Amino acid sequence: MQKVFNNKMAIFLFVFPGILLFSLTFLVPIVLSGYYSFRDTLAPGTPSAFIGFANYTELLFHDSRFWLALRNAVLLGLGFIFIQHPIAIFFAIMLDRLGGKAEKWFRTIFFIPCVISVVVISKMWLSLLDPTFGAFNKLLDTLGLGFLKHAWLGDSSTALVTMLFILIWAGFGWGLLFYYAGLKGIPDEMYEAASLDGASGFKLHLRITVPLLSPVITVQITLAMITALKQMETVFLTTNGGPGDSTQFLAVYLYNKAFSASQYGYANAISILFIVVCLLATYLSNKLTRSDATEF
Amino acid sequence: MTKSTKTILWVFFLFVALVQLFPLIWLADFSFLSSNEFYSSSILKWPSAPQWQNYINAWVDGKFLRYFINSAFITTVTILLTVVLSLTLGYAFTRMEWKFRSVFFTIILLGIMIPIHATLLPNFAIFKALGLTDSYLGLILPYTAVSVPMGTFILTGFLRSIPKALEESAIVDGANIYRIVFQIIAPLTAPALVTVVVTTFLNCWNEFIMASTFLSKDALKTLPFSVMNFAGQYSSDYGSQFAVMVLTSIPAIVIYAIFNEQITKGVTAGAVKG
Repeated sequence: MQKVFNNKMAIFLFVFPGILLFSLTFLVPIVLSGYYSFRDTLAPGTPSAFIGFANYTELLFHDSRFWLALRNAVLLGLGFIFIQHPIAIFFAIMLDRLGGKAEKWFRTIFFIPCVISVVVISKMWLSLLDPTFGAFNKLLDTLGLGFLKHAWLGDSSTALVTMLFILIWAGFGWGLLFYYAGLKGIPDEMYEAASLDGASGFKLHLRITVPLLSPVITVQITLAMITALKQMETVFLTTNGGPGDSTQFLAVYLYNKAFSASQYGYANAISILFIVVCLLATYLSNKLTRSDATEF
Repeated sequence: MTKSTKTILWVFFLFVALVQLFPLIWLADFSFLSSNEFYSSSILKWPSAPQWQNYINAWVDGKFLRYFINSAFITTVTILLTVVLSLTLGYAFTRMEWKFRSVFFTIILLGIMIPIHATLLPNFAIFKALGLTDSYLGLILPYTAVSVPMGTFILTGFLRSIPKALEESAIVDGANIYRIVFQIIAPLTAPALVTVVVTTFLNCWNEFIMASTFLSKDALKTLPFSVMNFAGQYSSDYGSQFAVMVLTSIPAIVIYAIFNEQITKGVTAGAVKG
């Protein structure tokens, strides 16, 4: 028995290809990124001078954009946690109560935006929010709220909130699905026992469902923070960080620094700090939610 | 729950579903309009004459078929590699006994936390030096590397729930380790594997930023490019732009409709228990 599970050759064959691929396209690049971050490089492959921590000191102490991008990510993460997730939990509970065929249909429908390509989502929302032909402003007109009409993504005072709205819309289905799956794992007896004790309706869910969902919630909060930090494509394809820097995010910033501003070394320094922030965020949200169930 | 509560809930869900789907309905609706119909004041509009020409433009000038085939090829290879690597890694991490398994497991899990965008810049330099930019491999490799950590995570969670007795009896019957993994364990992990397949599919099929960084040759481009290329070429012809967006969305929706049930099952089995 042990002989089979100790089979060195098999272990090597099972582990080596995966680790090799992961190292070559994930770990080695990060090390290389670290190397570039100490250099004054304009583009990959161009000769460069070693400048020590200059990129980092510039980033941390003189670059307000970096901090703004970080702040936006935190705001987005909080938006996910305090707006998207409570809504998702509410809908998961309601779906579960609904039962039957309808439960399945609605679950299917709510997830559809999650399978649409980010390019389509971005271009679609740009059009929906277009000041001249977009449906959103027309809707406001129809509702007699024409005075609210706005270039939602074009105005720095509303762009970030609008972005948050788009991202919540787009990601809602995933949150719902996870909480829904978590709910399905709660045995019915729990509810029966609680209703015998006199709990019902909203109270029943607050007392039973939410605590029992807590392992799922913990994982989801961590994932929400990481998702917010990683946010890039939708922003890149709609506002590209603007107007001003109102929707700036780290990934968008580093991409533009590398490929538009020709500050490749500097962009790599952002990259490294980006990784540090992500690891830190994971660690902190695991700590804060005092999870023992999560492994990442 | 009483009948009336159920009805209220039904109506409420119907309303939310409409709100949730409205952007897509609007997109489909306007894809049949001619551009001058866009500016009328109505929110949704019955086309005076459905503009099939928009879809012809989308198909032909969006190079839909070419990009579709590229996407299908890249995604299929990525999924196959991801499934095999996640299964073997997952098995080695949960069942096999070796010294550094927790170290390697942690390393692989780093892939879930580290954003792919952080690997974008160095990979661009490396791929350029190796001549991997503008090749299928230039996308398949990073796509697989990104998918394997989540796949491994889902599979380790699932494998832990499979009783070891199965393998023990297989060993008694004289099966070797490869037979056990590929003929006994693999079929048992099917629900988790489907989740891996579907999440990998969704991630790769719709991925844009790596594709746009690593590809410049038109013959290799993937489906999201049909939308991107089009936006410039038909900058004022919104009807055709919308048609190409509808066309691009259809394959993913079809795949989703087919695997919908398995996605939920897979999430329950894998990610939640994990």
